[in-house]
Amino acid sequence: MKTKVLLFRAGTILILIAIAAVMLVIGRGHTVYFENSEATFDGQTFKGPYKVTVYVDGEQVAKLYDGERGMATCIGQTFKMEMKIMNEKGGDEQFVAVTMPLPRDMDGILINLPTLLAGQPEAAYLSEFIIAEPEPETETTAADEFGLTTEF
Amino acid sequence: MKNTITKTNQNLTFAQKALKFLQNNSVPLMFVLICIVCIPISGFSASYLLNEVVTRMGRNIFLILCLLIPIIAGMGLNFGMTLGAMAGEIALILVADWQVWGIPGVVLAMILSIPFSLLLGAFCGKILNMSKGREMITSYIISYFINGIYQLVVLYMMGKVIPIKHTSLKLPRGYGIRNTTSLLNMRQCLDNLIDVQIGGVKIPVLTFIIIALLCAFIVWFRKTKLGQDMRAVGQDMQVARDAGINVEKTRIISIVMSTVLAGFGMVIYLQNMGNISTYSSHSQIGMFCIAALLVGGASVDRASIGNVFLGVILFHTMFIVAPSAGAHITGDSMIGEYFRVFVSYGVITLALVMYETKKRKMKSSVGEQLQREQEEGDGKNEN
Repeated sequence: MKTKVLLFRAGTILILIAIAAVMLVIGRGHTVYFENSEATFDGQTFKGPYKVTVYVDGEQVAKLYDGERGMATCIGQTFKMEMKIMNEKGGDEQFVAVTMPLPRDMDGILINLPTLLAGQPEAAYLSEFIIAEPEPETETTAADEFGLTTEF
Repeated sequence: MKNTITKTNQNLTFAQKALKFLQNNSVPLMFVLICIVCIPISGFSASYLLNEVVTRMGRNIFLILCLLIPIIAGMGLNFGMTLGAMAGEIALILVADWQVWGIPGVVLAMILSIPFSLLLGAFCGKILNMSKGREMITSYIISYFINGIYQLVVLYMMGKVIPIKHTSLKLPRGYGIRNTTSLLNMRQCLDNLIDVQIGGVKIPVLTFIIIALLCAFIVWFRKTKLGQDMRAVGQDMQVARDAGINVEKTRIISIVMSTVLAGFGMVIYLQNMGNISTYSSHSQIGMFCIAALLVGGASVDRASIGNVFLGVILFHTMFIVAPSAGAHITGDSMIGEYFRVFVSYGVITLALVMYETKKRKMKSSVGEQLQREQEEGDGKNEN
């Protein structure tokens, strides 16, 4: 009886740990930034199209002209986006769907669209986007914060 | 004895029955009256009010349901639920730092809160076993004590001892968590996953399914061996002990269960809010949950799922309309703010006073009954 209880408890703990591990992987959030600006890789220069419209989960998240940046959030390790590309002003629009794995250890990921569209390797179009540290500010600590401050 | 009481109830006139009903339900009736008066004055539309009440139901009911288990075990209103709330907050801070978003973030925070809740609940249960009969005040003071430790952990250890990577969470000095922790990436993810719009009112179906599951669990749990043991302990500890029930262990289990559920409830509550007021979110939660339960007609020794739902509807309707009604009546919305805080504390006081009065009345009526029976017995013996 005691062994049965012990096994049940151990099993429950293991299941919970397994669920937590799965959640850690599938719930990892990233902020993906895309830029439509000229880039150089391996001595080659890649010029951006006139306009790129980016869709994530069927929703338009950015409309980028030359030199512009946009962003979207992504939960999980795979990022899917669709792009409508207009190479010249007033020209035809081309539709491209992209699926790419995202590195787990990066919070902010910067994707250079011209190099991505040129079919270059990951090192060319993907880099970490680090937000500049905010200026140190004076923040009052919890000393007298115990009034009814929470909206209930 | 029970037969005598039932007979007495049957012999009551309609007026007496009505008076008894009023006495037994004075708190909910008082709130119904407050709401009836304040709703038209506040000027809110029906759809706005309904939307707000439904949102607050989804946000709070889970937390309030966790109070039912200690009541079954006769431990009164568990002010120690704050401990579970703190466990939930610590879990959410860690999850926010690990950048786990959305539903996975909520699930991970719930799982992560379990060990903290287990530890804190077991500690609280042990202390409450040492102070039988004074559980409520003891749990209230324990919550202050653990709040001190929570502050030590969050204000000094996080970032120094416990690794916190993101500067957006840390205080500018490099350790300790900021006053507000953003949960923007999991805000209302549970509420929005399955939601239905009925007449302009958004109903968070998934949240209500989770609440329904907890209600079903409580109903089922009451019928289990452990649930029956808790009821026995709640009715009479000595009799339960004589019946072979491990009273102390049963009481600890009830507090642990309540604390774990409070941790889950706090995660649901905060995902709805979208941010954590790091040092104050938990401090009022116990008070408001208990007030809401009492407004629903519960007492220290008796509470049901119905009391929880009624309490949340009435208490939060008052919470929504009071500031606006106060502003319309007095020209100052702060009066309404003070009014709702005053009412929260007032209703707890009133419920506790009523409980004590009822208990004393019951004791004296039982004494009188015994005396009468003894006198009757003596008379028969003399004859």
